[in-house]
Amino acid sequence: MLPSGAVWTAALVFTPLLAALACFLAPRAANWIGLLAAGLTTLAAATMVPTLMTDGPLRIAVGGWGAPLGIDLYADGLSAVLLLMTAVVGLGVSAFAPAYFGAHPQQRPWFWPLWLILWAALNGLYLSADLFNLYVMLELLGLSAAALTALSGGGPALNAAMRYLLVSLLGSAAYLLGVALLYHAHATVDIALLGARIEPGMLANAALAVMFAGLMLKTALFPFHFWLPPAHAGAPAPVSALLSALVIKGSFYLLLRLWLDLFGDLSRLLPELIGLLGAVAVLWGALQALQQQRLKLMIAYSTVAQIGYLFLAFPLAGGLNGTTAWRAVVYLALAHGLAKAAMFLSAGALLRFAHHDRIADLDRAVHRLPLTLTAFVLAGVSIMGLPPSGGFVGKWLLLEAAFQQDRWGLAVVVLLGGVLAAAYVFKVVGYAFTPTAIAQEAESVPLSMQWSALLLALGAILLGFAAPLLLPLLDVGAPFEPIVGMPS
Amino acid sequence: MAWLTGLPLAVDLVLGTTLLWLAWRALSSPDLFQAVALFIAFGVILGLVWARLDTIDIALAEIALGAGVTGALLLAALSQLQPAEVDARAAPSATGANEHQAGQPGQTAETADADEAQHKPAVFRALLAAVMGLLLLAALFGLGLVTWQLWEPSSGLTQQVNTHLPESGVEHPVTAVLLNFRGYDTLLEIAVLLLALIGVWSLATASNLGDTTPEPVLAALSRLLAPLMILVAAYLVWVGAHAPGGAFQAGSVLGAAGVLLRLSGWRLPAGAAGWPLRLVLALGVAVFAFIGIAVIGLGEPLLGYPTAWAKHAILVIELAATLSIGAILASLFIGGRP
Repeated sequence: MLPSGAVWTAALVFTPLLAALACFLAPRAANWIGLLAAGLTTLAAATMVPTLMTDGPLRIAVGGWGAPLGIDLYADGLSAVLLLMTAVVGLGVSAFAPAYFGAHPQQRPWFWPLWLILWAALNGLYLSADLFNLYVMLELLGLSAAALTALSGGGPALNAAMRYLLVSLLGSAAYLLGVALLYHAHATVDIALLGARIEPGMLANAALAVMFAGLMLKTALFPFHFWLPPAHAGAPAPVSALLSALVIKGSFYLLLRLWLDLFGDLSRLLPELIGLLGAVAVLWGALQALQQQRLKLMIAYSTVAQIGYLFLAFPLAGGLNGTTAWRAVVYLALAHGLAKAAMFLSAGALLRFAHHDRIADLDRAVHRLPLTLTAFVLAGVSIMGLPPSGGFVGKWLLLEAAFQQDRWGLAVVVLLGGVLAAAYVFKVVGYAFTPTAIAQEAESVPLSMQWSALLLALGAILLGFAAPLLLPLLDVGAPFEPIVGMPS
Repeated sequence: MAWLTGLPLAVDLVLGTTLLWLAWRALSSPDLFQAVALFIAFGVILGLVWARLDTIDIALAEIALGAGVTGALLLAALSQLQPAEVDARAAPSATGANEHQAGQPGQTAETADADEAQHKPAVFRALLAAVMGLLLLAALFGLGLVTWQLWEPSSGLTQQVNTHLPESGVEHPVTAVLLNFRGYDTLLEIAVLLLALIGVWSLATASNLGDTTPEPVLAALSRLLAPLMILVAAYLVWVGAHAPGGAFQAGSVLGAAGVLLRLSGWRLPAGAAGWPLRLVLALGVAVFAFIGIAVIGLGEPLLGYPTAWAKHAILVIELAATLSIGAILASLFIGGRP
């Protein structure tokens, strides 16, 4: 008899990992191997949903040893929704990539192994219950992301990638320091065991400080966002989509897990501080996005703003109906993943079309590239948080939590961020309707590039209708409920 | 004989002071070559410190990987950095122009974005410096706490590891942890090494490092040393089952042999530089993953080798990993795709 769940958990990590090896060994077949692996990994993620819904959360002891000696994998609703989002975005970007790299054939054989390892690392991250194993996943994630950033070559891209690599290593090192502290004090790196053994004190506070500093740096929360715009804007379009939609969600998920399972009760001040940084990020990122002349930089700054929303739940979580705030930001993370991937892929299609991404020179792109502009606008609807998109559901839940606790300041930030997002999205749409004085040459854009962007954007809209299905899935294993026996 | 009791303490004091002094000198040295040399010395002394702490495995790994491999990589990087620096000083404008002409039209637009982000106002830089300073302070605070806590020794999981050692298939606890209890981590760490090489290969082709005719002494020495190093690597893999050793140490010796051969003018035959080389590079992850998944078919958990043949499974995995680690480290030293 096969151990329950072992097959699809193994498939989620090892399908992309082994496919990456295959792409490395047979670079000429990389497109086909990559697409096949993307399909299989998505299938594995989809298989997981009914199992979790019927059997509840899943814990697997790798090698059969069990924590604290061995490594445990753990999947609950929170892991599941992020694995699903990663699969959907991954499938979309994988469908976009062959046509995109058709024009950059020297980058294609490297894109596939790096991207598939990145996918394996993300899936491994969402499935791991072991702090040191999570560090290894962060290493895989950071290295593959930095190498992908450098893929387009040239001075600025290499500079941005090098800075990204250094930031990523610094963040990982800080995180590891916290792991060492916790292991020394409690003789385990299993999150569940640590949750039971950890007690308030100097050591726990120090671990909290270094781990959160490292992970906030990796998640690019204001003011740690300095590395993000050049890296996300300088990378090839499919890579930008992966970095903005998926990679930062990995470190955010880890922050959330640590907070929920280990550190949530340690500090009253820290959640307020994190919320404040999030609020500044929402406004600052949106204002910066509004000022950009280049489409890809604008989208990158929009990511800085959207990351800010994810941290607004921290000050709300301790109060009345705090779990609503967590559900809200997880929903926002999902919606942002789909919408931002669609936006960067549309930007990639526009770059192929016009050979530039100056917003002011979009020159009637609406008429000439209607599918891509539709994708951009639909993604924009979700980023703004207009109904019926996924972004709307997330912001609605967040506002609900803020109103219940009379946190009017946070509510104003949520609304103002939406207005600013509308301003920068409509700025692009406005220029896309306007003819420029000089007629511009244009190259045809393969349909697979346009449709993958459009389908992802439609996904972001449909996410608004999927709430009755996704919210129960998210609650499997009650990831947001306070652990029994601890003061809440 | 009373003075002898103070001897270990004196040795520790000298080692500790030397370590701090070397670290400071390596960081403060304006000459990069000198800094690398000091870093290698630092690695060796750190290895001795680990040996004094009775952790022979970490001592071996520190000297082989921390001092040896990292030192060689730093020297290789330095040798490529210096000509580049001279070029940049000679013609700064020409290289800048080349970058923009070299790319595809689409690429130029994409990379130009990042150009704009480089020019930030002074306020932003000051803010950045303040944030980084705060982060470093936080890290220092944590470090201070670590040292404070280390005054009380903690046994960690030693007890558990010893209890389950008979089921692991090997007699050395470190190997049992690396290859069995936490084999999942080790599998992914080998993947990290391979990933680093893929990243390097995606950036550039190999330089012509060591393409000049080697000195006769070096050539004679390498003919003598290379077979010996391969033998030492094989011994280290074998001994890892019951004493300090194992795939990472053996792989670094194998990698050093590869570096030595390369420097003395030996080249991979043209036919072997394609997929055969890639196969060797990927072998470690592939074999480890294959065995780890195949056991699921036998009703075991993922990466759970049945106790009866755990010893053999671990040996096969370690052999494959040693070959891959050696090839990856040597390829990293050479620096680009062949």
